[in-house]
Amino acid sequence: MDIDGDAEEASRRIRVRFVTKLKPPYKAPPTSIAIPTNLTRFGLSALVNNLLKAGNADWKTEAFDFFIDGELVRMSLEEFLLAKGISAEKILEIEYIKAVAPRKKEDPSLHDDWVSAVDGSNPRFILTGCYDGFGRIWKTAGVCTHLLEGHTGAITSVCILDPLGSDGRRVVATASKDMTLRLFEVNTEEFQGQLKKIQSFKTLRGHNASVQCIAAEPSGAKICSGSWDCRINVWQANDSDSGGDFMSVKKRKVDIEDEEPKSEGEPISTLVGHTQCVSSVVWPEHETLYSASWDHSIRRWDVETGKDSMNMYCGKVINCLDVGGESSSLIAAGGSDPILRIWDPRKPGTLAPTFQFSSHTSWISGCKWHDNSWYHLVSASYDGKVMLWDLRTAWPLAVIDSHEDKVLCADWWKSNCVISGGADSKLCISSEISVM
Amino acid sequence: MAESDSSEDEVAAHNTVGNVPFEWYKDEEHIGYDIAGKKIKKKVREDKLDSFLASADNSENWRKIYDEYNDEIVELTKEETRMIRRVLKGMAPHPEFDPYPTAVDWVTIDKAEHPFPDAPEPKRRFVPSKWESKMIVRLVRGIRKGLIKVDDKPKEENRVYLLWGDDRNLTERHHIPPPKPKLPGHEESYNPSLEYIPTAEEVKKYELMYEEDRPKFIPKRFTSMRSVPAYDKAVRESFDRCLDLYLCPRTQKKRINIDPESLKPKLPSRKDLKPYPTTCYLEYKGHKGPVVSISTDSTGQWIASGSNDGTVRVWEVESGRCFRVWELGEAVQHVAWNPSPELPVLAVSVGQDVFLLNTGLGNDEENRRVDDLLHVESHMAHNEPGASEAIISETIVKWSRDDNHGAIRLNHYKTVSSVEWHRKGDYFSTLMPYGESKAVLVHQLSKGLTQRIPFKLHGLPVSTAFHPTRSIFFISTKKNVRIYDLLKQRLIKKLETGVREVSSIAIHPGGDNVIVGSKDGKLCWFDMDLSSQPYRVLNCHPKDITRVAFHRSYPLFASSSDDCTAYVFHGMVYSDLNQNPLIVPLEILRGHASVNGRGVLDCKFHPRQPWLFTAGADSVIKLYCH
Repeated sequence: MDIDGDAEEASRRIRVRFVTKLKPPYKAPPTSIAIPTNLTRFGLSALVNNLLKAGNADWKTEAFDFFIDGELVRMSLEEFLLAKGISAEKILEIEYIKAVAPRKKEDPSLHDDWVSAVDGSNPRFILTGCYDGFGRIWKTAGVCTHLLEGHTGAITSVCILDPLGSDGRRVVATASKDMTLRLFEVNTEEFQGQLKKIQSFKTLRGHNASVQCIAAEPSGAKICSGSWDCRINVWQANDSDSGGDFMSVKKRKVDIEDEEPKSEGEPISTLVGHTQCVSSVVWPEHETLYSASWDHSIRRWDVETGKDSMNMYCGKVINCLDVGGESSSLIAAGGSDPILRIWDPRKPGTLAPTFQFSSHTSWISGCKWHDNSWYHLVSASYDGKVMLWDLRTAWPLAVIDSHEDKVLCADWWKSNCVISGGADSKLCISSEISVM
Repeated sequence: MAESDSSEDEVAAHNTVGNVPFEWYKDEEHIGYDIAGKKIKKKVREDKLDSFLASADNSENWRKIYDEYNDEIVELTKEETRMIRRVLKGMAPHPEFDPYPTAVDWVTIDKAEHPFPDAPEPKRRFVPSKWESKMIVRLVRGIRKGLIKVDDKPKEENRVYLLWGDDRNLTERHHIPPPKPKLPGHEESYNPSLEYIPTAEEVKKYELMYEEDRPKFIPKRFTSMRSVPAYDKAVRESFDRCLDLYLCPRTQKKRINIDPESLKPKLPSRKDLKPYPTTCYLEYKGHKGPVVSISTDSTGQWIASGSNDGTVRVWEVESGRCFRVWELGEAVQHVAWNPSPELPVLAVSVGQDVFLLNTGLGNDEENRRVDDLLHVESHMAHNEPGASEAIISETIVKWSRDDNHGAIRLNHYKTVSSVEWHRKGDYFSTLMPYGESKAVLVHQLSKGLTQRIPFKLHGLPVSTAFHPTRSIFFISTKKNVRIYDLLKQRLIKKLETGVREVSSIAIHPGGDNVIVGSKDGKLCWFDMDLSSQPYRVLNCHPKDITRVAFHRSYPLFASSSDDCTAYVFHGMVYSDLNQNPLIVPLEILRGHASVNGRGVLDCKFHPRQPWLFTAGADSVIKLYCH
């Protein structure tokens, strides 16, 4: 009798079992249940919430995302099974995770001008660069603790050296259109409630045109920068012999505001090869750095020898580049078209991108991999949207449209927030994103 | 003496066996038969002894000869022996025959004094024949009347053909097979199954239909073949058939089937010609009036624009940020960025002035050099004596320092419409359309000098350009483009555009090709090696072309027009002189709005990327990317 009843409704119902890697309060009973196949992701989410509510009376509704065979469900279950050719006769195992989407939007942190660069690699603070020539350090949304002075042109790129060091003192580097890079030392723990102005302790000169991008070596000993003069310069970040000396010099400088800092740096090596503006550099490992340029190429450089070990042409101007993902080897890049491309350089003999995400409608200005997840990345575009992507689906996980103008930069922060700056002079923080 | 040589006829033949060998009768007693059928007996031959004895007896015996043919013995006469002797000697047989008779001269070879027949020559020999002339008159009349046809060709004989044979080849008529009729199906049976029978409603519906749409046959059931009635439409159909036969046109209509695609010229596919600008991604907003002119710097990082609202702005290409604004007060006519990367100077023509602005976009050293250059000018220009006659006096152009903008100001005596830089960035030319003989001036930035172009201008100059590699100068008037060699100071070539009014020209970076945009929407491509006529005229814009532009490195060119569009073309120039340039239209770029009847006012390519900037009358600059 029971079997007959099932067979009759086989066309519309399917037996599934929900599994998860989440911790106990999120664990659903591992029994299999029959559900209608026309359920979408929202239906499945409601179902799992109901299941959890049955086991736990004071359950708060949570959005979930669902995997079948390692692919995110983005249509009705029936269509998904048909598209993937999965038999509906077996018990289907559906894995669920908490949906990756921002649950909270913090108040925008207002700047005086366009926010051109943002770095969230240190969980204690956010570093932003602005077109008014000042770098800013934000403790949380709307709380600016430090103002980094010194540049005479708009800041184009910022980075925090050795961001996960233990003490509160951090060195940050900024690149600017005035053709220089500046290094600042900030102590994030000494915040007394009022804005503190900091002068740079070192100025790095050597570029012949606006510096477009900057990246620090993982240990923080060196930094590299790409510029409109087609060159990549590698600089020594902090002189080993002067630790406390500089502090004293700097303290003295605080009183004499107008004077330029004495210390200047020269590039220790120059990587030549690009024929147009170097728009983005990444330094993921000690010896290798990646660069992207307006000459349509992405290159991998060996820092010791100064030779490029890989040269990849993609046919479009590239504005942003990041290396991450599976074993930190996938290259994500976006540029002068609305497509975010991801290459796997380990694949031999092909230059075709392995993934292409094309939900944006204008140039992509920034892309960043998540620190811990192999699958998630964030992208910013001139269409005013920030999108969260998962490699397992071609649709964006979430679209953040809190900006009113072009978004110029985006980054992850504290591995559960997305921070983005744009031409509306705002730094937007979207928090409580439960990646993993 | 008249005896015949042959004696055979007279002598009666005794031989009756004919001409057969006598060996056959050797063993027989007879030889042949006589007329009565009796055997003719052989004569007994006397043996040798007898004949010897006979010859000894008879001295005349040698005269006897045995005639084997007739089987008889013939006795030769004296004449006969004499004749034999003469023959043996090689003489004529008869002694009377004279082999050497005396010749009688019957016809003399000497010409006689009087002809042999002594009659006079008849008159008919030298008078034209009356009857022949009558015959000729008759023939001529016949020819004139056309009764007689003079035809050199031999008359063709009638072709012999097979009267009852296959005549398809003779009449050359093509056979059109009639369409095959549908084979009858089950529904046409006299007793079809029930599912073929239409219901009453269906039959009613059929009746409501137009006659043409109505089904030709409605199945019906009959219980037996006997009850099937006669075909009710038989008369009607044969009548229609007759109508068809006599009303149908008998001439065969010949239709030419030409695929319209095949008439198009063979051009490469647009996909193969990528990259070229297609989509607008960035807009540069900030001007309050129509943007009249734009110019990119040599690296492609910045773009300058001039507008009717009196401002010049410098924008950052990648972000769309307005980097710098100069308020010049009057409507800007033209902006041109110095092509030299070490000299970030912007030349702007405003009314009667040309400003050389320091953009401050170089590094410190460059900025200082530019500042110096722009400072020293004002003093130098004043003190310069008119050393050469080509150097223009201060009444025409005055170099002065403009401290508000940190610039040089060149005050001309007429309105300046455009400024063009030489490729090295030291010389620049200004164009005053109403400056008559001093309409085109060439200025040198480093020395602060102004010179007149030493050529006579024919008509109102519209546009000028420097050759991208050689010292050649292009001046376009409303009808023609004249090309001058600046070193030799002479006219090289004159290009006849054939358009109503030229609006702008652009030179291919190779220097051998020129495009000309006109105010009647025509774009002319000149190959200067080929001819002074346009190699190709593209009639693509319905309104005035405002600007044409070549890309510096990609094989692209573009035209912008007041119809709010910009066209992008592929223009490939081959180094092989035998191969003509390849021109393929690629893309129509839309997006600008029309303001006061004006559309896109300027277009410029990015110097390094296949991108196009367009400046619109709607005060927006757009960037189209590939």
